[in-house]
Parts: sequence; C-alpha cells; structure tokens
Amino acid sequence: MGEGLRSFARALRVVILIALAVLFLIPFYLLVRNGLASESDITAAHWTFFPTHVRWGNVRELFDDPSVPMLHALWNSTRIAVATTAGTLLLASLAGYGLARIPYPWANHVFYGILGTLMIPSAVTFVPSFVLVSTLGWISTLRGLIVPTLFSGFAAFLFRQYFLGFPRELEDAARVDGLGYWRTYWRVVVPNSAPVFAAVGAIVFIGSWNAFLWPLVIGQDQQSWTVQVALATFNNGQTVNLHEMFVAAAVSILPLLVVFVVLQRFIVAGVERSGIDD
Amino acid sequence: MLSRLLGPQRRYLWFWVFTGPFVIGLTVFGYVPLLWSITLSFFDAHNTVTPSHFVGFANYTAILSDSAFTSSLATFAVFSLFIVPATYALSLALALMVNRLRLARAFFRSVFFLPTACSYVVASMIWKLSIFNGVRFGLANTVLGWLGPDPVAWLSTTRPPWYWVVIVTVRLWLQAGFYLVLFLAGLQRIPGTLYEAAAVDGARPGWQVFRYITFPQLRATSVAVVLLLVINAFQAFDEFYNLLSTARGYPPYARPPLVYLYYVALGQGQDLGMGSAGAVVLALVIAVATVVQARWFGLGRKEA
Amino acid sequence: MSEPQHSTFPALTRRRLLGLGGGLALTGALAAACGSNTGRGGGSSGSGPALSQWYHQYGEAGTEQAVRRYAAAYRQARVTVQWRPGDYDQQTAAALLTDAGPDVFEDDGPTIDQIQGGQVVDLTDQIKDAHADFNPAVLQPKTYQGRVYGIPQVIDAQLLYYRKSLLAKAGVQPPRTLDELVAAAHALTGKDTKGLFLGNDGGAGVLGQGGIPLVAAGLSLVTDDGRVGFDDPAAARTLGKLHTLYASGSLLLGAPADWSNPAAFTQGLTAMQWTGLWALPQIREALGDDFGVLPFPGDGSAGRPAVPVGAYASAVSARSRHVDAAKAYVKWLWVDRTDYQEDFALSYGFHIPARLSLARKAAKLRSGAAADAVRFSTDHGHALPLLWTPKSQVALTDAVSRIVKDGADPAAQVRSAAATVTAELQRVRRKTG
Repeated sequence: MGEGLRSFARALRVVILIALAVLFLIPFYLLVRNGLASESDITAAHWTFFPTHVRWGNVRELFDDPSVPMLHALWNSTRIAVATTAGTLLLASLAGYGLARIPYPWANHVFYGILGTLMIPSAVTFVPSFVLVSTLGWISTLRGLIVPTLFSGFAAFLFRQYFLGFPRELEDAARVDGLGYWRTYWRVVVPNSAPVFAAVGAIVFIGSWNAFLWPLVIGQDQQSWTVQVALATFNNGQTVNLHEMFVAAAVSILPLLVVFVVLQRFIVAGVERSGIDD
Repeated sequence: MLSRLLGPQRRYLWFWVFTGPFVIGLTVFGYVPLLWSITLSFFDAHNTVTPSHFVGFANYTAILSDSAFTSSLATFAVFSLFIVPATYALSLALALMVNRLRLARAFFRSVFFLPTACSYVVASMIWKLSIFNGVRFGLANTVLGWLGPDPVAWLSTTRPPWYWVVIVTVRLWLQAGFYLVLFLAGLQRIPGTLYEAAAVDGARPGWQVFRYITFPQLRATSVAVVLLLVINAFQAFDEFYNLLSTARGYPPYARPPLVYLYYVALGQGQDLGMGSAGAVVLALVIAVATVVQARWFGLGRKEA
Repeated sequence: MSEPQHSTFPALTRRRLLGLGGGLALTGALAAACGSNTGRGGGSSGSGPALSQWYHQYGEAGTEQAVRRYAAAYRQARVTVQWRPGDYDQQTAAALLTDAGPDVFEDDGPTIDQIQGGQVVDLTDQIKDAHADFNPAVLQPKTYQGRVYGIPQVIDAQLLYYRKSLLAKAGVQPPRTLDELVAAAHALTGKDTKGLFLGNDGGAGVLGQGGIPLVAAGLSLVTDDGRVGFDDPAAARTLGKLHTLYASGSLLLGAPADWSNPAAFTQGLTAMQWTGLWALPQIREALGDDFGVLPFPGDGSAGRPAVPVGAYASAVSARSRHVDAAKAYVKWLWVDRTDYQEDFALSYGFHIPARLSLARKAAKLRSGAAADAVRFSTDHGHALPLLWTPKSQVALTDAVSRIVKDGADPAAQVRSAAATVTAELQRVRRKTG
C-alpha cells in the first residue's frame, strides 16, 4: 500500500471521527439550546441554531419555582447517590474479594447465586420489594431509598473479576508480614485498587442519580423528592413547559458530567482493568 | 466440630465475614421479593400481595396464550436484532478508530463516553421533544425539510415503523461509549508481537490484520459485550416507556415484555398473579438465552 | 432540611424506630448515615388523628395551594396533603397494598377490583344526604351493588374544539356527523396546518380509551345487564372511518404536547383539536372568541353525539388506621363544604362541579363556548362503566390502534377485543357470587 493511500486513510478516519463526535454532542447542545430559549423560540416554525435571546433567567425561574423544590431535590439526590455509592462499594468489594480470594467449598454456588440476580429484571420484583420496604416502615425515609439498592450483583461481579487478576505477590508479601485477610484487604488490596473503585463507583453513582421508579414510589412526600422525580413534574400531560423542563434536565445532568470529566481517567483505567471480559 | 465449620485457618469464617453482609442483604432485598413474586404467580392475586385463592398454573397458561405477551417477546426479538449488532459494530468501529489516534485520543474517548452519564429519562425527552418530534420544528424534520420530504411523525407512524429509528438511536447513543471503553481495553491487551509477526508473514494492514489478528484476539471481549447487550435489551423499559407511553396507556406496537407486564401488574391493572407469571417466564427466557449463548461462545474457556 | 416534629406523629415515630432497628441490624455503620427521616411538612393545624391525603398533580396553577388550604381548615383531624407527580394510578395501587399508603385519596376509579378486594371503604352513609345532588353520570360508576365507594370531586369532559376563522376561510361548516368531520379535516389541511389533532397516536389512545367512536355509533362499552356492548357491525364500520381519517394525512401527529394540552391548537398547528374542558380558559386567552366546541359527532342511523365525562373521586383506604376519621373528613370536604367544592371546580382551570346545584348556579358556565360545553356534557355525557377493567381497556385501545394505524380488519379486531372483555366481565361477575 502506498504512503499516499495510507495518509488518505488516516485523514478519512479523522474526518469520520469528527463527524461522529459532532453527532454525539448534538443532544447536549439541544439540551442547552432549549433550556436557554423562550417557549416561542423552541416551537418556532423555522429552526434557529441559537435562541434569538439567550435567557439565563430560565435558570433562576427553575430555582424560584415554588411548586418544585429543585434545590432540595438536588441535595436529596446527592445524599442518596453518595451514600448508595459508598455503601455499594464497601459491600460489593468485600464480597468480591471473599469470592475471589478466600477458599471456601461453596464459593462457586454463592457466586452463581449472586450472578443469577443479574438476569432478574428489577421491575419483576417491584411490588413485593415495595411491600417489603413498607413493612419495614421505610416509606419516605432515606433508608428506604438507599438500603434496598445497596446489594448490586453487578458490582460484586465486577469486583470479583478484578480481584481474580490482582497480583498475588502483593498479598503474599502482606501474609509474610503476618497480616490476616482483613488487614491484607484494607492495607494492601484496597490502596492498590483505586481505578476499579472509581469505575464501579461511577457506574453505581450514575445509576443511583438517574433512578426514577423507586424514588418516586418510596419518596412519598415532596421533602424526599429526588432530581428525577422533580423532573417528572414538568411533563404532566396537561401543561408542558418546554424551556423549564429542558433547563431542569440540563441542571440534573450537570453534576454527573462534572464527576465524569474529573474522574474519567480513573474510570476508564478501572474499566480497562476490571477484567469484565475475562 | 466448630473448627470444621470455621475451616482451615478459619478461612470459612473469613469468607462469610467478607461476603456475609452482601449475601444477607441480597437475600432480603433480592431473593425474598423474588420468591414472593414466584408464589404470587400461582395465585389469583388481583390487588393483593397476600392472596388466598390458589390457581395452579392458570396464570401461566393465561399469559402464554395472551397474544399481547407473546407479541411482546417478538418485539424484544426485533429490538435485539437491531440494537445488539448495531451497538456492537458501532462501538467496535469507534474503538478501532480511537485506538489508532495519536492526538486527541482522550478527547474523542470522552465525547463518546459522555452520554453514559445521561439518564434514559432525559435522553428520551431530548429524542421525543426535540429531535424526532413530528412537527415542523423538530430537528430531524428540519433536516428532512432541507432535502424536500414532508415532516414524518416519527413515533406514531407504524407503516413504515419509523419508531424503531427513534428507539434504537437513543439506546445506541446512551450505551455505545461504555462498550467502546471495553473494546479499547481489549485492544490494549493484544500483544504487539502478534502484529509484528503478522507483518513478517506479509499480512496487509487493514482488513487482513483485523480479520486474522485483532478480531480473534477480541473474542473474550466480544462475548462479554454481546452477553451484556442481550441481557440489557431484555430488560429494556425506560426508553420505551418514556418515548411511547401517554397518560392513556401504551400503543400495541413496540411494546417489549417489561412494558407490557408493567401495565398488567403495576398500574391500575393490579393483576399481580399474571404479572408475576409473565415475569417468571421472562426470567427463564433470559436465563436460557444467556446459558445457550455462553455455551455457544464457550464462555469460561480460558484459551482465547 | 428541618428535622420533622416527631412528637406530633406518633405512628411515624413507631415506624421510624422499627426501621432504624432493621437498618442497624442490616448495615451497621451505614444506618447512622441513613437514619434521618426525610420529613413530612405541610400539616394542618387541627387536632385529633393524623390523616394523609393524596392528590395527583394537577396542571393548573393554584390547585395545590387550594387543597392545602382546605385541609388546613379542618379541625377534627390533622390532615397532611401529598401532591403526587408521575404515574398516579401506579403509585396509589402500590401504596394501597401497604400500611404506609394514604388514608384519603383521589381515585380515577375506584376500580371494580379495588372494591371487590376490599381496598376502599363504603361511603354510602357519608354521601346519603346529598346523593340526589350528585351528577348521576359520574356517580354511577362509583357505585357497586347500591353502595357508593367514591365521592365525585369535579367533572372533566372532552370535546372537539374548532377554530371559527379557519373553518370560515375554508368554507367548512362545523361537522355534525363523522363523515362531515373527515371531510372537514381534509378541507382544512394546508402546508403548515393540519385539519385535526386527536393526539400524537392519531386518536387511538384517547378515542379508544373512552370508547368514544363506539358511543358515537350508537353502541356502549358494557350494557346495563353487564355484557359486551360493542360486538356489532356498526363498531367496525365507525372504526374503519377513523382509519380513513388517519390515512388521509389530515391528522396532526407527533406534536410536542399531546392532545390533553391545547398548545397545538393555540399555536395554529391544527384547525380542530380533541381536548379536555380543562383547556378552555387557555384557549380563550389565546384565541378570544375565535373558537367553538362540539361533541364527537355521531355516525350512522343509530349514531349519537358523544362526550366522554369522568370524575376523580375521593375515596378512603381500608388500611387506614383511622377509617372513621377519614370518612368524616371526606364527608366534610366533599359533601358538606360546597363553598370549597365550588372553589375547587371553578377557580383553577375549568371543570364542571359534580354537584348539580353548584353547576346550575355557576356564572362562569352560563355563556359562550363554556355554556355549550356544559350543555353537551349534560346531554351527551357518558362515563366509563365500573365493570370496564384495565384489561378490557388495553384490549380495546390495542384494537383501535391496530385498526386506525395499521389498517387492520376492523371486524376481526372488534371481535377479538370483545372476547377479552367478555372474559373480564365473567371474571368480575364470578367474584360477586
């Protein structure tokens, strides 16, 4: 193959990538465009790439809306997502380590029991779960919103796969120093596994932040609404307030994008090392 | 006796110290509702979770002879025929292109990965109200308008079924970046010596190298990706619900199993017995599909 | 956030303690982080038992404040109002299975299964003094074997709105038959304006849900003796015309807001729209006098105009800890306090009071399009029968959608829907015996 042909292929590849990147960014652009436009600009007969007047006031309108406690919803979502992430990381990483590293005759059965839950759609067990949580008296409590979601089979699966590939030499060294499983785990394994914690943490955080059905049904009063529930109030069939809905949607994903951009290096490294495909 | 229970060097005890909290929680919040659901499937459970009228397999015969349920399984089949190959091909192609970049690699990776942070609710909203909305100010119709044709009512036209374009693209956008990262990880693990050997053997860069080196080396990644794609497709609910449901219900097309069961058991139609029976059938189908697929690809064999 | 006043919520405190115990046992250290209750604000100032009352989220501004004001004025119990966004039916259905549900709640039903399953309590004694004053069209579906299970709050109706100026410009008369409607929609369709908007699904949902075309064909969903009322060639004929309408290209499809919102009509995307009575104030504000209302036109020799009406009812959960207090509150608000009922019906959005006496004296309903709307609702109003279950509903809307959109054979679709409805009617009848 000639050198000319090869550089042509390279140029073509870059052009395709740029075109696809633009396509992938369009939805974000629409979110911002509609969020900062007036209602009539959004529904105008002729497409405009930018609103005729950029209305930053839409953001204030959103936070001043007395019927939707947006700020409080953001606070709730933050608390719930942080607690869920911390709890899941703790529980699932311990379980993953136990399954990967501590010999136990029935370990495989336990593992398949956990893996099996991945195949059960959560909607299947929705009503019994709801009744269970209600029997515990956890309706409209943070506990009810957090605790039942902490036991993620997927997270445990990812941790197990990762720990299977964790270098044994490090643990053996700790063993020689007289550390047991517990202290080896905390002093050697965890400090050397930051990327996988970042990756799983990001997946859990996103899932928790974006959850809708469970928070809607468990968080029965306005004080316990999450961002997604608040978002749902803008589209109630009778009144559609497009610009407020879009600005609310933009506000709702902003924290996630920030987390993503800041942590992305770790997240990618973690996914690459999680051994999900082994 | 006790020492046997604890195992050598108390290993069994330590196993349960590590896995116990998780397993207990999963039992309470995963298996108890699951068993409860299975129990309900053998009862006439309208508007109750503590039914008393045992009906044997009546709910199962009812759901399996319900044409709406069986056609929802067909809908799933169509959906996965679109989404699994499309996501696989797109994320693999993106990974191959991004992997060979020398500049701005992290930038492109971030751009494609960013949608992963977006919720199905928000994405569906953008798709439904801004891109594929059926009137003249929708983006897709604006672009179409430049080319000539009349506006298309994307979500409500069943002939041709334009709604698949909306449903498939939204999921493609949301999930391609995640699988792209998995493929990138797989590509990083292919030893460079293989490519050097191929060059020595006279393989031409491009298709031949991909066909005989890259693709076979990505087998393990491919199996995992396809498996995750199929399981996720089976559990599809959010984008369908948010794109197509209205205050008055859901149309009879593009109705996957979970959406149908939602209307059977979770809305006002509180037929929890039949809903649970459908859910059990669905879980069995997922399990069988996963096992068959794993066997087919030889998942777990370590030779790749 | 402020920590709630637990001393005023004895029941809640007990549940909270129970929950905390469970949390500690399960997750140890985590329980501390999750221990705080998320609070229950907005209580009323009364004394006596604590009642929780649920409303679905109304679109009209001021409704929420109004219902909180009514609750606060009640002295015999402390009533907490909860305003529920999202799928309301689904939330109440799940909550009614538990002790954490509402005491008093709005219900689109109650459904026959809620009544037969003993989830809602008998309110016959509460409504008895004013029974004759409630609009019978909406009270009847809340009545089972002579007992009343929900007290209608306000009446909603759906109507056909048309733009007078656009019809005049096209030389079209307001349609009086379904054939005229099809012709009018065609004549009114232009480059940027469609003739008719029946919802983004081409009317399959809203028309199918109310059984509107069937009533217009002179049929019914369920007959008075509890049998399928639409297994008839007339049903297939009328539904076939809806497919003609859909295929003609004169329907607006895929508008940003669905049929329940008048935006498409007021923005000039369509010359006629099927929407609710609730949209009338918005339409009047946008278009002044340039609009009129019509019932859904009849079809065929036995045909008659159709106006679907419905009412959210106030019901009491059988799982309430204070059933008697809840019943007393419902009686106070929805039977005795006619001033609040009038305010609720007429001050926010636009509804017809469920009480005949209030509807008669409401000045707002006595002139112009509003008066027409009330007259049509009274003369042609039909509500969904109690025996019409969600499953029957799905069967019919599926059939209508397939006929309208896919051009499926109307006769076969009607037959298959009728078979499902027959089975459902048998099921609910069996439970009676």
